[in-house]
Amino acid sequence: MRASQINRTVDFLRDAFEEASKLWWRFFDWVAVVEWRQLMLTWFFVVVFLGLLHTPEPAVWYIFGSLAIKTLAGGKRKAELQAREATHKADVATLEQRLMEARMAALQAQIEPHFLFNTLALIGQLIETDPPEAARVHAHLIEYLRSTLPQMRARDNGTLGKQVELSRAYLAIMQARMKERLQVRFEVPMYLHSSPFPPMMLQTLIENAIKHGLEPKIAGGTVIVRAFVLGAILHVEVCDDGVGIDLHADEGVGLANIRERLQLLYGDSAELIVHAPLEGGACATIRLPYKMMEGA
Amino acid sequence: MSEDHVYTALIADDEAPMRDLLRARLQAVWPELRIVAEAANGVEAVEFGQQHRPDIAFLDIRMPGLSGIEAARQLYRQSHIVFATAYDQYALDAFEQGALDYLLKPVTAERLAATCARIRARAEAHAHAQAPAPTLTPAPAREDIGAQLARLTELLEKKAPAKTGYLRWIQAQVGSSLRMISTREVLFFQSDEKYTRVQTAGGEYLIRKTLKELLDELDPDEFWRIHRSTLVRVEAIAEVTRDLRGRHMLRLRNYAGELEISRNHTYLFQQM
Repeated sequence: MRASQINRTVDFLRDAFEEASKLWWRFFDWVAVVEWRQLMLTWFFVVVFLGLLHTPEPAVWYIFGSLAIKTLAGGKRKAELQAREATHKADVATLEQRLMEARMAALQAQIEPHFLFNTLALIGQLIETDPPEAARVHAHLIEYLRSTLPQMRARDNGTLGKQVELSRAYLAIMQARMKERLQVRFEVPMYLHSSPFPPMMLQTLIENAIKHGLEPKIAGGTVIVRAFVLGAILHVEVCDDGVGIDLHADEGVGLANIRERLQLLYGDSAELIVHAPLEGGACATIRLPYKMMEGA
Repeated sequence: MSEDHVYTALIADDEAPMRDLLRARLQAVWPELRIVAEAANGVEAVEFGQQHRPDIAFLDIRMPGLSGIEAARQLYRQSHIVFATAYDQYALDAFEQGALDYLLKPVTAERLAATCARIRARAEAHAHAQAPAPTLTPAPAREDIGAQLARLTELLEKKAPAKTGYLRWIQAQVGSSLRMISTREVLFFQSDEKYTRVQTAGGEYLIRKTLKELLDELDPDEFWRIHRSTLVRVEAIAEVTRDLRGRHMLRLRNYAGELEISRNHTYLFQQM
């Protein structure tokens, strides 16, 4: 009985002490960073207020205390806090740079040489033989370009639904070129369309599946895009039944870029996992914390 | 070759719309040319080429199965080769220097007409000089083309930076599936009795490959051996410190623990 009471008291004291020290450091930080003019203004109010109460002593303590903190520790503390903020800013800047790199890589990888040439050639050819199909491919190309060109990106690119839509445009163009050699299946439930998802990641995985999995395979195959929630983790998976992963081929800029961006965005709570199913082919899965609300 | 000889051709491209386009263009610029076969990959190109022995083979460079260049190496003795490519700077540079015929995709009618006219002119000059010639390519040029194709194959292989011959993926059995770990994910390998432990930022895996085997297969610039039982990824190294007993210890990014560097491997860090 007594022991538990003592424990409770000790716990209470410890909590109280922790709270007090937290408040103290918050005050300390505030004093360190606040402008001199604002600090003096608070001195004035404290003096007036406590003067009215005829207890000037705490006011004097406050003024001397804060003056000491400000002059002695202020500079160092301020520098520390600024450094912390700068680190945070640098992280954001790195992230933006990575995203830009992903977009540039996407641009250079397909749009510039092969992808754009071949798609335009296809449209040119279809204009002669199948004008409605030409119009369809043309519309898909515009939609795809809009998503990849950074200066044209829309604000709402950051949902899974939007990313799926853009991938459909890309896959539709590839299907027009590869014909029956490329089959596509989407298994993304409607309720996941609104969940936040970083841009240009699904795209990279699908391009990899086609470029390294299906294009080198004579018969071609199927790309499956799946999304599901397990526990509180959103899984977005791209699988193909192509030639599989060449153990001696570097994973490439695309995957390395996704990994780096996941690390910057989610820390250790997100990951990119590649595995080889027993039936052959390759699967790449992005796992990240699932949030119900967009922007939550 | 006689005036009324019917020229034959093979078209090889993995994309059906591209075959349609080339066929339509050929029919427009050279109506008498008979297209005897269309191949959708390199293997088919060789098979149909050997079966039909066309005068001309139009080969796309990027095809599944066998590349256009590999297919050409098997067909150039019997058929005149014309390559088609969308954008392949290395190949284009090689073509510019050599005598090989090539077309840029999308194939324009003008360019195709010019190429066909050149091939026909060459064939006619040949026919005037000497009766029945086996192919459109004269024998001395054939030797030259063989050498050029060999050079091209080499060039395109070297150009692919992904193929260095070093191991880039580690396979680890996880449940019933095979987890593929890119070497870029690996922090270090450590031998652990019969197994080797693979440490990544996200977790650890056991593989059956021994450290010795890994050492032979991995890129020596990518992984360094720092201890009898440890291989570390160079890019993951954060710092080297000395502990109280004077041992050199290695710390890694994204990893809490420390790794010991054995005495005979400390030279790796001398300049640091």
